[in-house]
Amino acid sequence: MSTEPVNCDETVALLHDFLKRELTPESARAIRRHLDACRHCAQHAELERRFLELLERSGRRTRCPDALRARILDALRELGGAPE
Amino acid sequence: MPAPVADRRSFEEEALPHLDGLYRVALRLTRDPARAEDLVQETMLRAFRAWDRFTPGTNARAWLFAILRNGFINEYRRMRREPRMVELDAAEPGSIHDAVADTDPEGRFFSRIVDEQVLAALDDLPPDFREVVVLSDVEGLPYAEIAELLGVPVGTVKSRLFRARRLLQRALYDYAVEMGYLEEPRGTP
Repeated sequence: MSTEPVNCDETVALLHDFLKRELTPESARAIRRHLDACRHCAQHAELERRFLELLERSGRRTRCPDALRARILDALRELGGAPE
Repeated sequence: MPAPVADRRSFEEEALPHLDGLYRVALRLTRDPARAEDLVQETMLRAFRAWDRFTPGTNARAWLFAILRNGFINEYRRMRREPRMVELDAAEPGSIHDAVADTDPEGRFFSRIVDEQVLAALDDLPPDFREVVVLSDVEGLPYAEIAELLGVPVGTVKSRLFRARRLLQRALYDYAVEMGYLEEPRGTP
């Protein structure tokens, strides 16, 4: 199946959606093809990938505090009646 | 009347794995650990009381996030009156790639930025931007799921995300320059 070529501006506009796998297979193929051929956009894609990776890594460091988890379990057990 | 133990067990099995995600979203929405804890606890209890209305096999995470978000809107936004949107009047933020194209085109400086700084930059975003970033880029919800949760078109989610990520990148770039991770730019990036 042939895909319409995309230029640099179009590629940059879709980089996040491409990296998040939110594009249709056809659009993703067009972006992939452009990135294979264009060093500038490929570097830009790598920058965006690192950025999204940093966001996920930093964001997921936050965890539900143990005390809160215990409090919720206690409250559920109270509402939920009989003990284990 | 107390719910049967079997119901509580099925609720715990479905809902407890999402506690970390709920707390992360709550903390980013409220930016206050004590309020985030209250919001999560309230969400879980409300969800448990409504558990008979949950359809088994459907998306428990989306269901819980919706309850959390409603709780936040009802009890926090009303009293805080934070400006919700800056979308229309703010200038289109440019990409930082041009500013680093000569020195660090692949953005290696990102790996030197500490988590606390990333979270601080995230918390500085306007609420509607913060919300989509934490749902998409931290929790990994698909755009369509976020659109449904927020009750807005997918295009709105995409444009908020685009602008939010650009603002975040700019903040992290400025920080990296300040910390000496990147060379001072020649001229304005």
